Amino acid sequence: MGSHAKAWLVEDESAREMLDRVLTERPFLLLPPLHRVPLRVGNVVELVGPSSSSKTHILIQAAITCILPKLWKGVSYGGLGHSAMFIDLDCRFDVLRFSELLNHRIMEAANGSSSKVGCHQKDSEAQFERMKPYNEELFALCMKRFLYIRCYDSSEFLATLKTLHYRLQKEREVHGVNVHLLLIDSIGAFHWVDRGSSSFPLEYDNRKSWHLQNVSEAVVQEIRRLLLVHPMLVMATKAVVLGNKYSTNELTWNYRKWSAVDNPYSRNITSSDQQLPYREYMPAAWQSFVTHRILVRATDWRVHPFLNMCTGMYDLLYVSEEEKEERVMENIVEKGKEMTKKRKETGEAREVKVLAKKRKSTQKNPSYFSNE
Amino acid sequence: MARLANLETEYPVLDSTVRNFCASHGIFSVEDFLIHDLYMLAAFAEQNNSSERLKEGIAQVLSIIDDMHQPWLNGMELLEDAKRNKHVFPTGIQGIDLLLGGGIRVGQLTELVGPSSSGKTQVCLRTASNVARNHMVLYLDTGNSFSPQRIAYFLGKTINPSSAQAKNQFLQKVMSNISCHSVFDIFAMFDVLHQLESYLRCQDGRGGCQMRLLIVDSISSLISPLLGSSSTQGRALMTSTGYLLKKLAHQHNLAVLIINHTVGGEGGYSKPALGDSWKCIPHSRLFLSCDRGSNNYNVSILRHPSMASGKAARPSCRGDTVSSSHGPYQPSG
Repeated sequence: MGSHAKAWLVEDESAREMLDRVLTERPFLLLPPLHRVPLRVGNVVELVGPSSSSKTHILIQAAITCILPKLWKGVSYGGLGHSAMFIDLDCRFDVLRFSELLNHRIMEAANGSSSKVGCHQKDSEAQFERMKPYNEELFALCMKRFLYIRCYDSSEFLATLKTLHYRLQKEREVHGVNVHLLLIDSIGAFHWVDRGSSSFPLEYDNRKSWHLQNVSEAVVQEIRRLLLVHPMLVMATKAVVLGNKYSTNELTWNYRKWSAVDNPYSRNITSSDQQLPYREYMPAAWQSFVTHRILVRATDWRVHPFLNMCTGMYDLLYVSEEEKEERVMENIVEKGKEMTKKRKETGEAREVKVLAKKRKSTQKNPSYFSNE
Repeated sequence: MARLANLETEYPVLDSTVRNFCASHGIFSVEDFLIHDLYMLAAFAEQNNSSERLKEGIAQVLSIIDDMHQPWLNGMELLEDAKRNKHVFPTGIQGIDLLLGGGIRVGQLTELVGPSSSGKTQVCLRTASNVARNHMVLYLDTGNSFSPQRIAYFLGKTINPSSAQAKNQFLQKVMSNISCHSVFDIFAMFDVLHQLESYLRCQDGRGGCQMRLLIVDSISSLISPLLGSSSTQGRALMTSTGYLLKKLAHQHNLAVLIINHTVGGEGGYSKPALGDSWKCIPHSRLFLSCDRGSNNYNVSILRHPSMASGKAARPSCRGDTVSSSHGPYQPSG
């Protein structure tokens, strides 16, 4: 009896072994430009921002990194070599732009490896010609790993999700490739339509009506089930309207000074301890499903996005600095220290870290506008 | 949405046992299946007496659901479709064609925004006259601004001075390619678009002259009256309109050109009407403005699909003002 009891206590593996195992089976996916955020399969990332703030561009870059192979015919492309699925709810995907970006990445990697060898100009041109058929073959291989579907309303979206499991199984059997990335463009695309199509009187009591909450719950449930069997990283974009201070009016070319440090965020309507600069409109089911939320916005008319990330572990203010904004930068660092102090007082464990990246000094941009 | 009872003739698996079981869980139509948990349903079916039949029924419904969404495509198929079908139509106005990289694209919604008398209708008429040489055009007019004389004028400028009879014939042929409908409220427009959809479905099969351009002048006069401050129905209708146009554009290879007007924004600048929810609908947005003093017409890009890509992100693509004050591009009156 004693030996049986003892058998229960024998350890399976040490903590170190477990960490090694998990990191091999579920490694961190470092997808540029989000390579500073430690993402793994099973995470649900939400990219939030106003319209035209390059959210879809980030998705496309992530997809390209996913479908490129790590190493192919001696050239390192730095990709993951898996399939990516793109559910287009916005229906604005431009495949020509996607293929341009993919070609650009392929040639960049090819040129990168050739330049290391130190060829001359003529040699590199000849090599480019030689590489062309390889590049095209790789291009075709990568494009076949990109799976795309568009949905024109919520019922199509739900129908897609419900049949996705069988589709993925078939993909695995036929092509032997796993899908590691699920991209959803604009999760809030049908928000108004679903809100508007709510209460028609239903004859039967136990019948669920087709309104926003039910649809959202069904979506979350399906994706959750899917993640159990096919572990993937889910990235979704969401278009929001930022508070007035942060909206970039496309027609004004005045650079809005980032005087945000004085009064950062307007209160949002949901009572959460984290103050958001925009109004959250997705139902609670989706909000609690998201594990990472990344705020993206353009700082000026040059559409230069910067990433403000809240990973839930600590708040990162990642800022790219302009020469003339050094003053503002100091204010931000001060603010970061202030916030940390305040939080330590209230007993919150989270610390505020400020990562500032100095931009190389650029020459003053020529003015394109007569009214400047 | 199809009620399960009506599907029995087509799919005999969905007989009364299956339907009663589903009814006990509150499922009466295929749509209800979409918001219910099918795994739970299958688990309940396990415990039932006639579990085999129920599971067959659920599998049948799943295959019906599989037909309800668009087909999955891979990148190469998408690219082939884009290269083969999604051409670019030049508008005939040099400045705009330059900015757009050739012209308006098939399969995409292009929006022209501008204050009144900034030449939006003229751009539409010019584009219609250009495209109508080889394809059919549908012009939805909400403000009685369609002018056949203007189109004849544009066409007259571009053909060789041959005999009057040949000229006449040419004009007749091109003008008959343009159909103009007046719509004064959104439901009339939905009617026309649904008729258009059935027409296009027949058209896709046969060859000949096909419809390739849809112009809505102006969509804001149809939608603005619906957008009250607290009503959600208005915005739901606006989004549905946008998606219907996108569906027509993509599935039937149409280029869609829509006109929007401006309202006053913060700081005294004018901004496009229809609010923030509309921003996600069009693929490209162009802002037209007119400088009264110098009679200069300016076009600038508010949004463009390839703006964010590495090489197109030059400021000149975004904020550059290209004056397009050519002869034909004058305001009416």
